Amino acid sequence: MKMAIDHSDDRKRVTITINKNQYLAIEGEIFLETAIREHIDIPHLCYEKSLEPYGACRLCMVEIVTCGKTEMTPACTIRVHNGLEILTDTPDIVKHRSMLFELYLSEAPKSEIIKEMAAKYGVTRTRFLKKIVHDDPLMGKCILCGLCVRVCNEIMGTSAIHFINRGPYTVVNTPFFEENPACAGCSACASVCPTNAIIFEDLDGQRIMKSWSDTHIALARCEVCGKHFAPEKLLQATYAKLNPGLIEHIKKICPPCRGKEIARKEIRGMNPR
Amino acid sequence: MKIQSPEDLEQIRKSGLAKIHPGHVRIGVGTSSCGIAVGGLELYDRMRDIIQKEGYTISLVKTGCIGYCKEEPIVSVSIPGKALVLLHKVSVHDAERILSLSLSGEVPEDLALCKVTDWDHITGTLVYGDGFEHIPDYGDVQFFKHQKKVILRDSGFINPEDIDEYIAIGGYRAAFQALTNMTPDAVIDEVKKSGLRGRGGAGFPAGLKWEITKKAPGEEKFIVCNADEGDPGAYMNRNEMESDPHMLMEGLLIGAYAMGVHEGLIYIRAEYPLAIERLMIALDQARGLGLLGKNILNTGFDFDIQIAIGAGAFVCGESTALVASIEGKIGRPRLRPPRLTDKGVWGRPTDLNNVETWCNVPVIIHKGAGWYAGIGAKGNTGTKVFSLVGKVDNVGMVEVPLGTSLNTIIYDIGNGGAEGKAVKAVQTGGPSGGCIPARLFDTPVDFENLNHVGTMMGSGGLVVMDEDTSMVDIARYFINFASSESCGKCVPCREGLKHLLLILNRIMAGKGTETDIEVLKSLSDTIVKTSLCGLGQTAPNPVLTTLKYFGEEYERLLSTEV
Repeated sequence: MKMAIDHSDDRKRVTITINKNQYLAIEGEIFLETAIREHIDIPHLCYEKSLEPYGACRLCMVEIVTCGKTEMTPACTIRVHNGLEILTDTPDIVKHRSMLFELYLSEAPKSEIIKEMAAKYGVTRTRFLKKIVHDDPLMGKCILCGLCVRVCNEIMGTSAIHFINRGPYTVVNTPFFEENPACAGCSACASVCPTNAIIFEDLDGQRIMKSWSDTHIALARCEVCGKHFAPEKLLQATYAKLNPGLIEHIKKICPPCRGKEIARKEIRGMNPR
Repeated sequence: MKIQSPEDLEQIRKSGLAKIHPGHVRIGVGTSSCGIAVGGLELYDRMRDIIQKEGYTISLVKTGCIGYCKEEPIVSVSIPGKALVLLHKVSVHDAERILSLSLSGEVPEDLALCKVTDWDHITGTLVYGDGFEHIPDYGDVQFFKHQKKVILRDSGFINPEDIDEYIAIGGYRAAFQALTNMTPDAVIDEVKKSGLRGRGGAGFPAGLKWEITKKAPGEEKFIVCNADEGDPGAYMNRNEMESDPHMLMEGLLIGAYAMGVHEGLIYIRAEYPLAIERLMIALDQARGLGLLGKNILNTGFDFDIQIAIGAGAFVCGESTALVASIEGKIGRPRLRPPRLTDKGVWGRPTDLNNVETWCNVPVIIHKGAGWYAGIGAKGNTGTKVFSLVGKVDNVGMVEVPLGTSLNTIIYDIGNGGAEGKAVKAVQTGGPSGGCIPARLFDTPVDFENLNHVGTMMGSGGLVVMDEDTSMVDIARYFINFASSESCGKCVPCREGLKHLLLILNRIMAGKGTETDIEVLKSLSDTIVKTSLCGLGQTAPNPVLTTLKYFGEEYERLLSTEV
């Protein structure tokens, strides 16, 4: 039996079957997590461990086998239980995945990541009309997985961006496509984006969220080296959650300078004059 | 006054009866949306002005729709001791004549559609009288002859804005019976035994859903009425709410009692202003009589209903999107499970049923499950209201027992194609359904048989197409609808439907190829199998059924260029 579980984790282990092979898995975890850990390739675009499963990209569709019957379900919505049986690469799944990749290729024609993912399934061209948007703030790469919206809302608690319009006209941006003062410039959206569609730039003491209606956020300057290092608003929001003593210690100093400072103190401590 | 005893209810029943049989002439003008659209309100206003000016002793009321929308505005004339006469296609110019003739015990026979000597409201019977030998009986009118009115039993006869009239024909007696003489479990049992299935389209056993909600852990729960009827060509729910809102209230009250729920919601689309208005009136009147609110009917049971108005999205008829919309969030479906019965409105267990499902409840309690199960077919009990529209001669609301064939509905009741044209197909189930060709019209209309021919019951819209209709265009129309109503969350629905539409446009423009047909099929298959919610999973049905039954129409449009 194959296993790749961290044994310091004391959650209950169960046996599941993936593509006719048996694996140990953690009861209650999301099946997609199991598959990722076991290096079973299931493409996915809208799943992020720290967020609620969303089930929008539909690429992780697998087949659950119950009593000999199969049912197609997204892997990000299946909870592991003992005896779970999954097929991840039946001809049916591959057929539908390939079609979905064609749709993605037409929706985000500029995304190299989508091209690479699709190529693994032998999909190198799309039969569908490519979506061309002039001056697209998301560079023709957005696949509307909603990760940026959800991380901004659920984790940062900011809700600076959201879906606008519906159906094929859906886009993500700030309200009314205007600069949004609510944005803290944390750029969590950009780091979570699976297709690198979100762009921002730090320029002259400002962070400019180019994808989000050019929202400008002031950057704080390091008191030691004088370089700009983090959005002021984000720092304030972070300080509000720390205990005051700690804040005094780290305030207004960029991480490299803080590192140097700590190192200096340590050295002084070792060599008392 | 708050109703606290059977005597109280009886007293209101009598005063309501005095409104229906006032001892002088009573005239009802059909003022549901269909009647209003062809001048019902102008007619009503004209009659009211004349009555005031001349000082006539005539009761003039607004009534709901009797179902024969093609013949609106329909006016009912009730002369004491004589049969109720329905006049059709009445114009404002007829107002004077109708009023003055009625005072002398006559009706303009040239306008007469039919007469009703007595009417079975199921919860009670009204006897009008005889006379008017030359006017055909209600039962002899082709449009009415093959129908069985259970849900629409009161529509067109009573004033929907007056609770007394609903009580007059036995309304709220079932609620009284349930709350005072039955245990909640007995009520659920009765609904289960009746075999009532969800009328929103999926056909899930209603009693079972009630039971699941009741057993779900948690004190605070909700019941919700889904009145977000959005299928093109479907207006059954609108008519039910406009013509007989208290039937819905009573159904909700009985359901709330059975499930032990104290908060009800009606989620209704903003496009139904008249239904909203009449529901509001009905709510106020029911509260006034102690049929909603605290200590209902002196039983100690509390229940009230709020109205939540949608913001115009078809997808909000999907249960999880509906809940999101009620909570003020963007109307997008979420993954299921959890089902609403576990985690619905504000995270609490929620029972969601369609308007018509709730409307069935009072008669089930009043007449008993056995009576109800005797209507329709095995496994498909009761009646279903359909809106028969499109290129059919008799357009209107049709109520028939489940299991009735499409032939009966379209030819016997609908009188075939409009203007003598041949009927080619019928679309059932709105954009989620499919087109059934005329050669399959012997298909009984029930949940399973419609699925079998590739379509679905849906909420009850029947859109008839005649020989002139291009089936490819029909498919394009429905795909365009579904695509523009897609919420945009999952890619097969958002992008897939868009490309289906582009391909259909290309075919309609004469530029399609054989390859396009293949892509239509395979793309439809992926959309059906991989979409997140019911909208996407069923949206390609119009394409798939028209390809299956009318493939030659696609072939004919294909480009001949090589």
